[in-house]
This record gives sequence, C-alpha cells and structure tokens, in this order.
Amino acid sequence: MTLVKWQANFRIGIEEVDHEHQDLINLINSLHDALGEERSGERVEAFLGEILADISSHFALEEKVMRDRHYDVLAEHKADHERLLDELRDLMDAQAEGAVLDDKRFAAQLAQWFTGHFQTHDARFHRHLTR
Amino acid sequence: MDALKRGLRAVFLRIEAALEAVFGARHNPLTQLGTLGWFLFWIVTVSGIYVYIFFDTGVTQAWESLDRLSREQWYLGGLMRSLHRYASDALVLVVLVHALREFAMDRMRGNRWFPWVTGIPLLWFLYACGITGYWLVWDQLAQYVAVATTEWLDSIGIFAEPIARNFLDSERLSGRFFTLIIYMHIALPLLMLLAMWIHIQRHAHARVNPPRTLAVGTLGALVALSFAWPAMSQAPADLDRAPFSLGLDWFYLAVYPLLERMHGSTLWLLLIGGSVLLTLLPWLPPLKKAPVAKVDLANCNGCRRCFADCPFGAITMIGRTDGLAYEQEASVDPDMCMSCGICVGACPTATPFRRVGHLSAGIELPDRSMSGLREEVAAAAARLSGDARVIVFGCSHDADSDRLADASTAVVRLPCVGMLPPPFIDLVVMRHQADGVLLSGCAGHDCFERLGDQWTEQRIANERDPNLRARVPRDRVAVAWNNPIRHGALRETLTQFRAHLRGLAAAGGAKPAPAASPAAWRARLRELPVAARYTGQGLVYALVVGFVGFFATQPAYTYLAEDHALLKLSFSHAGQPLKPCRRYTHEELTNTKFSERSATSCERGRWPVYVELDLNGEPIYRATHDPAGLWNDGPSAVYARFEVPAGRHRLDARLRDNGADQGFTFTASRMVELQPGTNFVVDFRATDGGFAFGLPAQDTARQEEAP
Repeated sequence: MTLVKWQANFRIGIEEVDHEHQDLINLINSLHDALGEERSGERVEAFLGEILADISSHFALEEKVMRDRHYDVLAEHKADHERLLDELRDLMDAQAEGAVLDDKRFAAQLAQWFTGHFQTHDARFHRHLTR
Repeated sequence: MDALKRGLRAVFLRIEAALEAVFGARHNPLTQLGTLGWFLFWIVTVSGIYVYIFFDTGVTQAWESLDRLSREQWYLGGLMRSLHRYASDALVLVVLVHALREFAMDRMRGNRWFPWVTGIPLLWFLYACGITGYWLVWDQLAQYVAVATTEWLDSIGIFAEPIARNFLDSERLSGRFFTLIIYMHIALPLLMLLAMWIHIQRHAHARVNPPRTLAVGTLGALVALSFAWPAMSQAPADLDRAPFSLGLDWFYLAVYPLLERMHGSTLWLLLIGGSVLLTLLPWLPPLKKAPVAKVDLANCNGCRRCFADCPFGAITMIGRTDGLAYEQEASVDPDMCMSCGICVGACPTATPFRRVGHLSAGIELPDRSMSGLREEVAAAAARLSGDARVIVFGCSHDADSDRLADASTAVVRLPCVGMLPPPFIDLVVMRHQADGVLLSGCAGHDCFERLGDQWTEQRIANERDPNLRARVPRDRVAVAWNNPIRHGALRETLTQFRAHLRGLAAAGGAKPAPAASPAAWRARLRELPVAARYTGQGLVYALVVGFVGFFATQPAYTYLAEDHALLKLSFSHAGQPLKPCRRYTHEELTNTKFSERSATSCERGRWPVYVELDLNGEPIYRATHDPAGLWNDGPSAVYARFEVPAGRHRLDARLRDNGADQGFTFTASRMVELQPGTNFVVDFRATDGGFAFGLPAQDTARQEEAP
C-alpha cells in the first residue's frame, strides 16, 4: 500500500530539494511496505526512527537552501518543520508506550503533513524563488 | 616536557579557579588573554595616533614636543601618552602569559600548530614596535636604546659602516636615521596587525573582543595608572654625555643589559635559537593523532551544519562527488581536524532513533561511532538503579566526571560535550533511560575544543541547529562547566540535580509547567558575596597595573658607573690601494679600442686598516679591520666602546693602512681630562691630518698634546 503519493505540484524547482522530497516519499512507502502485516513494536519504531532521521536531515538541507536564497519567511517555515518533527516524535513516544500504530490514521497524518506542508510552505518558497 | 606542562597547568588551573570565583567564568581574565591582547593593541593604536598628532618628528624637537604634551595637556595628551606606554607594556605581559598558558594547556600540538607558530613572529613584531617607540622620545633612555640597538645590529656585520656611528656624538647625529625609525614605528604595527589576523585564521568564530566588563575594567585600570603615575620622558638626550642610570622598561628592554655581558651576535644567536626552538615546540614530541572525522556520503546531503559548527575551519563544502542530485557535500581537511567530534553533534542524521540498518551519521569520528555510543548509552542505562538515575556525558578535559559513577549515575565520555547530538538527550530523557542527563565539560568559555560548550548550550536553548526538541523538559537536562580541578563543584552539581529530579518525581509525575526559559538546568553553587567579588576584582586590576607600572621604569639600570666616562674609538677610513694606480703606456692605449680607453689602470682592493689605542700606556685596543665591499675596495670601519674612570688620561692612537708589517701611517697622543659621564670620541679623518680627540665643544676635557 502506498502511504503517500508524489504529486507534480510538490515540485519547487530546486533539484536537490525536489530529489529529496521524492526520495522521502519513496522511503516512507518502501519502509512501510517492508513493515508488512506482522508488525512488532520494534519494527514500527525502526520505521518511524528512520523517517525521523531522514526528515531531520531533509529539513536541515531545505533550511540551508532557504537561507542561501534569503527567504523572507524562513522563521515561519522552520517553525512548521519543528512542529512536524515534534508531532512525529510524539507519535514515536506514544507508540513506544504501547499505542498501536493505526495505518490508516498514520497514512492520513503523513499525507496531511506532506501535502499540507508542501502546498502551503514549500509552495510559498517556490513562489519566492520564481518571483 | 610533559612534566613541565603538567606542573604549569596545575599552577594555571589553581589561579584560574581563584580568578573565576572573583570574575565569574565568562570574564575570567586568564581565559580571555587573546581577546585582551587585541583590546590592548587597539588602545595602543588609538592613543598612538593621538600622540602622533602632537609629536614633532625632528630629532631635536621630539623631546620637547612630548614633554609639552605631557605637561600642558596632561588631562588628555598626557593620558594618551601614558596609555600608549602602559597598554604596550600590558600587551607584552598578556602575550607572554597567553603563550605560556597555551603551552601549559597543550593547545599547540598536532593540528593546532598554526596559531602557535604564527605567534612567534608576532613576538618579534611586538618587540620591534616597542623598541622603535622608545627611540622616538629622544630622551636619555631613547639615546641608550638608539646606541645599544645600533651597536647590537652592527654585531651581525651586514652593514658596510657601523650604523651606531649615526649616534656617535651630537655632531654626527643623523636626523634621517631618526625619521626612518618613525616610519618603522608606524609600519611595524600595521604589519603586526596583518600577522595577528593570520594568527587567528584557523579559528572559526575567533574571539577578538573581550567581554565588555573586562574591557571596561582593563581600560579603567590603565587610565587610573596613567593618572597616578604618568609616563614622562627622562632627561633629554645628549649624545656627548652617557647616562649613568636609566629607568628601563623591562617589558621591552629586558635583554638589553645582556649586551654588556655578551657579544651582540651571541645574543642574536640566543634569541633566534630560542625562536626556532619555540617554533618546533608543537612537535616536541609530536602529538599522537586521533583519527580525523570522516564524511559518510550515503548520509550527507550537504546541509552544512557541520561546516557551521567546526571550531577549527576543518570542514569545507565542496561540489558533490558521487553524482547524487545534491549540490554539495562536506569535506574534512585532515590537517586541520582536531578530532573533537563537534561536527558529529551537529549532523541531523546522528540520531539514535534510527534502527533500520547500521546507524551512521553523515560525519563520524572513526574512534567514536554513533552506533557505538548508542550501545554504550543503552548499556549504561540498563545498569542504573535508584529513584533519580542520571547519565553524565563528560568530555575528556572535564573535572573527572568518571569519579561520579555509582549505582544511579552512569558516565559516558566523549572527546568534547559538543559531540553529543541532541537526539541522544531526547532518547535518554523521553524514553526514561534515565531520569536526567548531566553534561559536564571544561570551564565555561574555555572549552578545550573552543566552542563545544557554547554550541551545546545553544542547541539546548533552541538557538542553534540541531536543537534539542522543545518537547524535552529542560529541567531534566543539566549542564556543568567546570575548571578541571574543581571536581567538588561537579559533584555538588550532581547532588543538587539529583535532589531536583527527586522533587520532580515527588510532584507526582504531573506534567511539569513549561519552563520560563528553554535553557539547561544549572546548579546554584556557592558564590562569593558581591562585595567580595568586586573587591577581589579591584585587587586583581590593582596588582596587574601595579606590576605593569613598576616594571615600566623600575628597577633602574646602571649603564655607566658614577665616576666613569665613555671612550669611543670609531671612524671609517679606506686603506691604501693594494697597488697604486698607474697610467697606461702609449702602446697599451693604442692597442685598446677607442671606446674602452681610460687614462689609468686601477686594481680594485685595499689594505686592511690596523688600529692600536693605548690608555695610559696600557694597550686597550688592537685590531685589523678588513675593507668593506664585495671587491674589498670599501672603507674599513672601526667602532669600539670603553668604560674608563673619569680623570686625566693619556691616549696613544696608531694606525697602519698600507699593508706593511710594522710602522704606522698615523700616530697621535693626547692628554685628556674626562669628566664623569662624558662620551668622548676618538675619530680619524685622514683629510684633516689624522686622529681627532673629542669635539671642540668638549673643551672641558682640557686636551693637550702629550709629550
């Protein structure tokens, strides 16, 4: 099952950022596939941990690109990054404490993060770049 | 070498601990010596420019212009002049202690050789600036500096004619040489500034400004010294007299008295040899180098955080080499990396939550892998018991954090606390591997790896990426920056932290109220009362400026014994040609091309000049002086100085310049009466008939022909 689907309007026009966005989506999907049906807590934790690491480094790169291009609302954008990371960490801790990861809810959440973040914040950066 | 370093380090650490109690860690003067040096340099520059406005650059007017400035404009001009002197002296003090401290702390070996080695030319610049500065006052000290320095330079033997002859007596005083010194006193500080800039090139975020309170205190103390003990000129220079006693500035001129005990070239050899030895010090013995940081491209997307955090500029961002769509990747210069691991702490992929495959950060220390660290932390956590379990992350230079280990305290050591990626703290606290995390490092603002403590604090306070996630309660994350000898303070911090953690548990595990500030928790260690601290600071400033003020002129140096006079034998005279010139014969001329004809044939080369001088019949000088010049056709130069008792003396001078085995070309004898302190020159001018004794003005010498 594909958790998140890449959409053409995710593209912001900076090769390395677009590349990582696609990579991230692929990673999330493939990790999710590898989870399979039999999900021990440990495997879910590993899955989430990997996503956290990748998103963290992706945000680091994106913030660098924005800083380089003097993005005027970087602070706001970064705050959204931090919010996403915090929510992911909340989810991880909840899972570690025994909450069962509900695929549907998690997929919806991820989709919301991605589409929500891409469509509002990244799109705004895209407009900044093309201005 | 190691024992010496350890001994010195123990002394420094004890003094620093005392100063920290008085000034606080951030304003500890001994950890701010570099920035204080820069600050003093700027004081010297500004005050120097001001004094220069009123300075008359003529050699005969210089003294008067400065004396007038000090007297008539004591409130500003005099102040500036005093600041110029005392800040320069303090600069010497600060620079020497700075070098000694970097040596004692072993911060100059391995890849840290660069600031050390570039600091040594700075010492030479500093002294050259000071020495030329004292020259400009043109008082008795300046006269001494001029004569001693030029004599010392002459001992190298690179000048055709002794440059000390520029300052032989009032008749021969060279205003042009004086002007040259003025230019040098302006040019050398500029070059020194360039060298200072090079000195700090390998330090990212180099600190060049001291904390404001320290700057204000230093300036205030120097101003107080300047008013209490204004820098004044000594008596005006008089080249026909030699000063008996001088107020020597021992910060700059301490080696000068040695010139009376050893030959100038020996002193040069000592100083140059010493400098070479100092230059080699970083490799005596060479540092056993830990493996440097290594970039793992599979985990590097070129986000630049390691580059931003490296304290030593060892990381550069280069174009991507593996064909991935990223623009850049980090690259480590193995010749600049100190293996501190601060870059690893900055890497966003260094998170222990990763479980798929092998945990590897985008940049890693081969000796201390992130996967190894994660295992060590997990194992340490598993051993902990009790109601307030603490994991201490200590650095390799902290106050013995190892000794804290017990049933409820685990200690994990890293090269530098800055190496710890914040997600590790997140994991330990949020997954209850321990109830609290204590980060223990070097004394505040004196991190061995320069910036580890600052970056750590900023990452915790959400001021620097990668930051510790806001959801991690800061009252479970403590920091302790301690002077390495203050293990007691570290232990006290742990005790208080544990009590605090118990308090949190007693609060019923209810969600703690969000902290007012995201900063890390710190213990309240016992401090001196404010009054005692200010008194202590005042005392320290008074001691330092007292030291500076005293040795700026004291103890006096006796140049010439009270009842003595100086006798100088100095002249420049060309020996006779080896062969006399002869006219070409007519035959020779006709055989020479018209364009190459000349009247006489002169072979180059002259005879050496042999000189004898007897004092009251006793030989005091016998020497042969070779002609100067590559072709041995220049004049032979003589310069010798004798200290003789004042009184009536018979002088016999003889000179031979024709290569004969015996006999003399010129001889002269005089009875002279030398007053104490007279500078009496025996000169020789072949055109004026031979030897000349003293100046016409030295009539008091009551010369007469000897029988």
